[in-house]
Amino acid sequence: MRRAVILLLLWGGMELLLSLDKGDHTASSETLLVFGFLILAAYTVGEIVTVVQLPKVTGYLAAGILFGPSALGVISLHSIAELAPVSRLAVALIAFLAGAELRWTELRDRAKPLLTMLGVELALSFAAIMGLLVVARSYVPFLSGLPMPETLVLSALFASVAIVHSPAVVMALLTETRARGPVARTTLGMVLVADIVVVLLFSGLLAIARTAVPTSASASGPSLGMVAWEIGGSLLVGAALGGAIALYMRFVKRELLLFAIVVTFFGSEIARLAHVEVLLTLLVAGFVVENGTKQGAAELLHAMERSAAPVFVVFFALAGAAIMVRDVLLIWPIAVAVVAVRAIAIAFGCHVGARLSRAGHMERRYVWMGLVAQAGVAIGLVAVVSEVYPERGAQMATLFLAVIAINQLLGPVLSRIALKNSGEIETGSGQGSSEPALAAETAARTP
Amino acid sequence: MSGPLLLILAVAVAYLAAHVAFDWLARRFLIISGAEYLLLGILLGPQIANVLSVEVMASFSPLVTLSLGWVGAIVGTQFHIPSLVRVRALSYRVAFGEAMLTLIFVALVELAVMEWWLGMSELDAVAPAVALGAIAAVSAPAGIGIVARHLGRRSALLRQLEITTAIDALVAIVAIGLLLALRHPGDMAVSRPITPTEWVVISLGIGIIGGAMFELFLGGERDEDRLFISLAGAIILTSGAAAFLHLSPIFTAMVMSATLVNLSSNREAIVRTLHSSERPFYFVLLIFAGATWEPSLRAWVIPVLLYLVARAVAKAGGARLAARLTGTLTTLGPHWGRALLGQGPLALALGLEYVRMPNAPVPNVVFTAAIAAVLLLDISSAWMVHSVVEPLTADADRTPRPAGDVS
Repeated sequence: MRRAVILLLLWGGMELLLSLDKGDHTASSETLLVFGFLILAAYTVGEIVTVVQLPKVTGYLAAGILFGPSALGVISLHSIAELAPVSRLAVALIAFLAGAELRWTELRDRAKPLLTMLGVELALSFAAIMGLLVVARSYVPFLSGLPMPETLVLSALFASVAIVHSPAVVMALLTETRARGPVARTTLGMVLVADIVVVLLFSGLLAIARTAVPTSASASGPSLGMVAWEIGGSLLVGAALGGAIALYMRFVKRELLLFAIVVTFFGSEIARLAHVEVLLTLLVAGFVVENGTKQGAAELLHAMERSAAPVFVVFFALAGAAIMVRDVLLIWPIAVAVVAVRAIAIAFGCHVGARLSRAGHMERRYVWMGLVAQAGVAIGLVAVVSEVYPERGAQMATLFLAVIAINQLLGPVLSRIALKNSGEIETGSGQGSSEPALAAETAARTP
Repeated sequence: MSGPLLLILAVAVAYLAAHVAFDWLARRFLIISGAEYLLLGILLGPQIANVLSVEVMASFSPLVTLSLGWVGAIVGTQFHIPSLVRVRALSYRVAFGEAMLTLIFVALVELAVMEWWLGMSELDAVAPAVALGAIAAVSAPAGIGIVARHLGRRSALLRQLEITTAIDALVAIVAIGLLLALRHPGDMAVSRPITPTEWVVISLGIGIIGGAMFELFLGGERDEDRLFISLAGAIILTSGAAAFLHLSPIFTAMVMSATLVNLSSNREAIVRTLHSSERPFYFVLLIFAGATWEPSLRAWVIPVLLYLVARAVAKAGGARLAARLTGTLTTLGPHWGRALLGQGPLALALGLEYVRMPNAPVPNVVFTAAIAAVLLLDISSAWMVHSVVEPLTADADRTPRPAGDVS
């Protein structure tokens, strides 16, 4: 009740303030206002939804939809665009934190089940989504009226993007629940490796598509050399950045909150200038720091989690605000079909992969649920398609954003159910039980 | 290399320098860090290297507003009424006397300078004169803390200095907050124009209602990470609302945090959380203040020089007069006002607020005065405090303590 009153007060206050605007305000003052409102409103909705056992991430997304342009309109499209740097910062933070969660010894031990499950799951999802689009091509806007070869190519392109997962949602949930069990760790490993695989697959398919389906646009897709640099360069830049951070942690190790923010900004800016993948660069940096220092990066990670908290709240709220409900409603039958087929394929693929690699019972049953959510990289890849094929790409983007919208809402809920049912978080408290909570882990690793 | 990247590097280098060099210097030679970031901002800004171009500065404007709000919120946490009532009323009389005398004296001197030297009308000259008076009232508290640690003990004078710097900040922030409200451009979509008094009430209202609402929001929250999210949201929203309405973010954030600490049962955690994150905002503020500076060679020399002289006279004389009027001159010493000469980030923050005020007359004169004062006085502020406090402490040590004195 208290939270609902706060939400109403916040909304009322914002409406009052925004109604005073004559349209001649500087963008920055409105941006800051919306930023502050989003932190508090989304955080409040996040707290409210935990009452019904939903993850906070779902609450943040719901707050974005509620206050976004599709519903109450407190957050305008202009504000969403103005707050884009926050989303970029969030992606960088997520990547660094995710990389630091990966331990080399653990990866080595889990490599077989992880790669087998991922391989089977991605292959099955790709084939199932592509098959669905080909079969239902007369109902898919971007495939209607196309001859079979082009239908196959564009369906493959769509499927290569649709199989991607969401490291952001997985990391946010692991941070929220502090789960550190086998299901959590396998899920995290899979979503991270999947990103690299998908970027490679997508780039290859786009190159084929550009030959098979000529584009009217002058924009060119990524060449093979560019893709190689994006991946290789990310590894190089990320390793260098990670090495520098490790040195800092060894010799200076002070003002970690400020250092965490500087590192993330610096990393994403360097990646942007070097034309390498931000996500992969920061992921490698986090991995190098965690595995290249004796004490690990526990203190830095704690500082980073702290600075990341408000950024995550706004990041997911903005993702929710960007969901155009009307667009989703226009093409909901085919979007729901893609979501259903993808989810079934992921579940089946994980099950088969886990059996083949003799993974544990819990992983066999629950890992797939953490792979349903989508965002981040997927949206970026769709934007590339839209650049290469302006007309068909735009239709593809609409369908894809509808699929992402459904998966974004469904994914966190399924992830939480998976972690709860596998016994890696306690009901209600949100704290990890089978593995040490992050705070305890941090304390234990701190000298 | 891009502007944002260089800015990140600048902040990183600045803060490493602070730790490697200036922390040591502060302990060893009582030198306070701060002015070097300001200098860095001037070097990187549009006047010299243009790394922080006007466009880059505009894109970071929300961050500057947030930094202003954070500074205001930290000042506001000092006004916890149950703690304040434990201090003798005499201490407040001295502090308010010194702050008001400084504000009025400097404002009158500057009013005369603006009218006679710059040829401004009385109506136009009032705003910069009051702004300079308010900025003059501010005293840097950092030197006092360093000297207290250096001497390893606390004295009545040090306590009085702490109270005085808090009251100086209060007087200065309120003066700037009122100035912005009273000179509001009135560019709002409302059925009738909002009067200046109503803008003052709105400024206060945002702070008080914000503080009360955030207390409801925080509840009994003790977890520092959750507190951080909530406080960050509260300060961003309050300072954003003030900036949106062309009011003072420092003033509204100060009122908000003062309300919050008085309503909350969780004051210590709130204060700790706010202080744990203050340094990055100070760095941002100082660097951007330096980069924002636009020197005007035509007419600024006399008003700025007079500001420095008038402030020194007002601080020394005002403090002495206030102590004499309240009968505390023997305890505080005749030169205790010298310990209040230092100026730090708050003075710059108030200068920045004035510069950002719509249609502010002679903004660069006011800002140049604030920058000059910080560059000249920030580094030496701890020495000045030490030169006043140390002899009195030594005297107190030599004086035999009467039986029963436990002070």
